Amino acid sequence: MDRRNNRRDAEGISVVTANRLLDGRIVWLGADGQWKTVIQDAEPYANSAIEDVLQRCNARAQQEALVGIYGVQVTRTVSGLQPVTSRERIRAAGPSVHPDFTPDWPTHQPALHA
Amino acid sequence: MPHVMTQPALPVGHYAYDSVDRTFLKQRVAQFKDQVERRLSGALTEEEFKPLRLMNGLYLQLHAYMLRVAIPYGVLDAAQMRTLAHIARTYDRDYGHFTTRQNIQFNWIRLEDTPEILTVLAEADMHAIQTSGNCIRNVTADQFAGAAADEVLDPRVYAEILRQWSTLHPEFTFLPRKFKIAISGSKQDRVAARFHDIGLIAREGENGRPVFEVFVGGGLGRTPAIGTRLRDDLPEEDLIAYLEAILRVYNAHGRRDNIYKARIKILVQALGAEEFFNQVNAEFSAMDRARYRLPEATVEAIRARFGTPDFAPAGDAAEKLNAQRKADQVFDAWVATNTHAHKQPGYCSVTVSCKPTGGIPGDVTSAQMDLLADLAERYSFGELRITHLQNVVLGHVRQDALYEVWQALAQNGLGTANIGFMTDIIACPGLDYCALANARSIPIAQKLSARFGSADLQRKIGPLRLNISGCINACGHHHAGHIGILGVDKRGEEAFQITLGGSSGGEDASIGQILGSAMSEDETVDAIARIIDTYLSRRTAGERFIETCRRLGTAPFKDAAYAPA
Repeated sequence: MDRRNNRRDAEGISVVTANRLLDGRIVWLGADGQWKTVIQDAEPYANSAIEDVLQRCNARAQQEALVGIYGVQVTRTVSGLQPVTSRERIRAAGPSVHPDFTPDWPTHQPALHA
Repeated sequence: MPHVMTQPALPVGHYAYDSVDRTFLKQRVAQFKDQVERRLSGALTEEEFKPLRLMNGLYLQLHAYMLRVAIPYGVLDAAQMRTLAHIARTYDRDYGHFTTRQNIQFNWIRLEDTPEILTVLAEADMHAIQTSGNCIRNVTADQFAGAAADEVLDPRVYAEILRQWSTLHPEFTFLPRKFKIAISGSKQDRVAARFHDIGLIAREGENGRPVFEVFVGGGLGRTPAIGTRLRDDLPEEDLIAYLEAILRVYNAHGRRDNIYKARIKILVQALGAEEFFNQVNAEFSAMDRARYRLPEATVEAIRARFGTPDFAPAGDAAEKLNAQRKADQVFDAWVATNTHAHKQPGYCSVTVSCKPTGGIPGDVTSAQMDLLADLAERYSFGELRITHLQNVVLGHVRQDALYEVWQALAQNGLGTANIGFMTDIIACPGLDYCALANARSIPIAQKLSARFGSADLQRKIGPLRLNISGCINACGHHHAGHIGILGVDKRGEEAFQITLGGSSGGEDASIGQILGSAMSEDETVDAIARIIDTYLSRRTAGERFIETCRRLGTAPFKDAAYAPA
């Protein structure tokens, strides 16, 4: 795990993210314990609690077919949860050079490249 | 009437597989299919599976899995290009990205589809082997191999020999770090030989057989280094033995305790060039040379598996081309920048720019891939090459067909006349895709391409290599750019450093010098514009950008880059 992914302030909040094993797509842990495809459906946790959450998620990783679980520090903004680093903002939103490739892009939809 | 079997023609430009190669690929796909099934069942952990998928070119990147497909020495045929188009359409998002190692990457691959994709590739005699992991990676070669008027020796046969030698080599499958080899057969170094772990320049020896100039310990990345010349005249028959000796010394003494110090360049620096040379020679002398000898007969047997173009007399092709150039100025400009002199009279090589103004360097759609395959079949003996500058070459086009080729390219977004100019940008995928990147390479490339996209302005500026990397790993070769841009992370935000004065080619290979502190994306674009203005105002008649940089040093350009707005 890249250490950059786990940089967190003591007072902040974070969400939990992973990649799905089958297709590699990014997912976020929701309040209901299910994994969501958009960050706005993620449940934020206090950074003081995030390591425990990550530990529980890692214990279920194989069962839930997930890889690369880690916490992403976020802030609450008017448009919702926003990662604090540019890397995680891009990861959450999709590649900036293809605005059409949003996180909820259908998995098997044939694309029409611009 | 008896049935007559006709031997299928050999593919022009690349090695023709036989049943042994095809059986090997089938077995490899079956092996990976089993590994994927075991991973999905939980029999393999991610930690156990990761090196196995990487050996098959499958990375887990920022948004999804990325599959890197090998294009050995950058050469493929039309059917193979159509296979890549099919993969882009069926399993990805309708495009692919040509890389600086002459490969192609697909950014949106599903793990569960990968065995099927590898099967499709194998049916076209393709694979993803040696595109990742700490092994000898895809050997790169001159994009004009077998075509260039200035070529002394065709390097592809030797690139293929190196491929066969290195694929699954039991000693070199788990090297301290990845290992990159490039080979050229021209005095004009078009492969950046001095920036490779091993760079080879082939030429004809006194006995009529090839000899090789051997450079070792070059590279970019965190510790850029220009390779050291170990041999000037390595005989063909010793090529494998000598490279084996270099790899053995590296394998024995290369650092495995620190990934940042694991490349062979660090070992060469640590030992010193003379001691490294002595150790290689000691290994070389102790080897069973008969076992490792590369006989002429083997070289010729490999050469015989390459199809060669059956050139028709070109007649008045050159005259027709001249007339067409006079009649169409835009076409004339494209011919001037995007064609390269061919050894066969009446023919030339065409470099198809994959860098449209404001576009994403190296990206091509499936439709464009199909078009390139069609054009290759119709005009270039069915053969294509991918360049380490992320463009595509049609190697052998009759000069009187250029106008039709250009029109077809231009109608499909591939007709940009910018080869060698400022918008012929090398850019890695950057933070838009890459899990290692610190900053996005593509948006800044697009901004610079749009800003300097005017054909007149580019002609005025003249030859200029602009390379962009999203992190210090330097996949975008920023150190070797006349102007380089390096993406860095400043407390979680993207920023960019500018380097100046790098060059990849031949005797004047140099490493770009960092101008100063990192800036935002827009500040960097403006700074580069001021650097260009400085060049235009201070150059002497006929002086190229890199020459002005070397004459003046970095100071005036630094002043311009950091001038208050």
